Amino acid sequence: MKKVIPPAVGLVLALCFPLVTTDPFILSLLIEAGVWAIAVMGFVAILRTGEFSLGQAAFMAIGGYASALVTINLGIPFWFGLVFAGIMAALVALALGVVVLRLGGIYFAIVTLVFGEIVRIVALNWQGLTRGATGLTPSAPGTIHIGSITIDFIASKVPFYYVIVLLVLVAAVVFWRADRSRLGRIFRSIASNETLAEHMGIHLMKYKVIIFVIAGFFTGIAGAFFCHFTLFMGPTTFDVWDSIMILIMGIVGGTSSVVLGPIIGALVLSAGGAYLTSALMVGMKPLVYGIIVIVVVVLLPGGLVDLGRYISRAPRISSLQGVKRHKKRGN
Amino acid sequence: MAMPILELRKLTKRFGNLMALREFDLDINQGELIGVIGPNGSGKTTLFNLISGYYRHFEGEIIYGGKRISGLRPDQIARKGIARVFQSYMLYEDTSVLENTTRCCYLRCETNSWQSFFNTSRYRKEEVNQRAEAEELLQPVGLAELRDSLAGKLPYGYCRLLGVAMALATNPTLLLLDEPMAGISHDEKGLVINLIKKLRDQGITVMLVEHDVKAVVDICPRLVVLDFGRKIADGRPEEVTTDRKVIEAYLGVEQG
Repeated sequence: MKKVIPPAVGLVLALCFPLVTTDPFILSLLIEAGVWAIAVMGFVAILRTGEFSLGQAAFMAIGGYASALVTINLGIPFWFGLVFAGIMAALVALALGVVVLRLGGIYFAIVTLVFGEIVRIVALNWQGLTRGATGLTPSAPGTIHIGSITIDFIASKVPFYYVIVLLVLVAAVVFWRADRSRLGRIFRSIASNETLAEHMGIHLMKYKVIIFVIAGFFTGIAGAFFCHFTLFMGPTTFDVWDSIMILIMGIVGGTSSVVLGPIIGALVLSAGGAYLTSALMVGMKPLVYGIIVIVVVVLLPGGLVDLGRYISRAPRISSLQGVKRHKKRGN
Repeated sequence: MAMPILELRKLTKRFGNLMALREFDLDINQGELIGVIGPNGSGKTTLFNLISGYYRHFEGEIIYGGKRISGLRPDQIARKGIARVFQSYMLYEDTSVLENTTRCCYLRCETNSWQSFFNTSRYRKEEVNQRAEAEELLQPVGLAELRDSLAGKLPYGYCRLLGVAMALATNPTLLLLDEPMAGISHDEKGLVINLIKKLRDQGITVMLVEHDVKAVVDICPRLVVLDFGRKIADGRPEEVTTDRKVIEAYLGVEQG
């Protein structure tokens, strides 16, 4: 039971936040942070199988376009647009993953980076579908009436805020369960020693593709949500820089936890960074981010999630007793 | 006459111009304990690399339990019951000894990923059982007390022992042991020898590559000798060790 308390407290705080303030600017920052948190969870989950995806923003773009197109052209409601976006991104992840995950290592990183550019270029040039650089203007979800309560997505940011809290919660539960179940053990095995894992009967491709597809699904939903929130979807809404941002948020937040690290990283860099920028001056964003990244990487290589452990000075592996330390070998 | 469980047919593996293994034929019967010896670079480890699927491109055929396994992936071969202990340092270094063993129990799992994802009672029960099984596996290799130690910090000899426990975690019917006795103390050697004998008694087929010729001669009723990728002898230890070609391979032959 003890383990349930911190996340539950976090959730209650998140749910109560609009009681503190409904300032649209602050809520927008948090909503964006939620979008990034989902994408970063996907990135970190893939990273924890030992693969480095530099094209996660491309799945946000695919999700964004998928949802924007079906809601605009077919008049499908926002909610189904979200699900459709997730499925489309997952299918693309499946097709890409089956081919590209074979490469592994740095080659995988390069191909995913290139994939992000391909998506951008296709979106820019496929005028008939995406309207090129003009972009699409997806609409916010329609007003919902439940009895006497009216939920209006245009008048206030609060409904969007609750939707993203719910989406982050669902993604968090899925990634957390995947990490704590046998899948997590398999992912850790693969990340730790692929050759050994394979010789012990683990089909590497199967599990790498599984997590790549799950990550793609949620990343696509995050992208779709974002474009309905900002009411615009264009080729540069999610580009290579955003993939790099996902990477940076993952590293700053810390990759030792699959849920908390991404949420912290997204809050600090997306919400915190944007707030700082607006308070200082335009154009400071990359500088602020750069400083945060350098400080974290130098002082806290485990990311911000390690802060608590660092302060309490608890040993990272508490089970070293009993190891006879022999002379250090040269490997 | 028992059907051979493992049949190797004209195995040839080239690395560029080097023939690491040439036209290697071998039949191994169920439950046999067979030692493979040979000088350095004679192709012993290459042989294991072919059987376990580490190299997938080679000439010849490997038939296991009547089915062709050459060309399969290592995980498919492991699933068929062939487990391998690596010669080199091959562990999940970043985690505990017990976790290393548990991770190798993958093939024992009966619940699927969904059951594990939804944390069903059957999965939880299996997890508890598997932990106990993993601890049991550490017992015969003498690592039970070190189960919480970090695997990457183990002394070399213990790594080899852990490797054996991990291979056994896959429930193998054929065990490929690549120099399990290299770099371990005399006492631990006894431990390994006892373990191998125990495995043989359980009916597990064991292929043992070993540098320590004396140990192999002592425990293996059948020896195969490799030299420059060729099989130069195959038979009972007393025949093999007196074979002229074997002595030449080990000691060299005077020119002229």
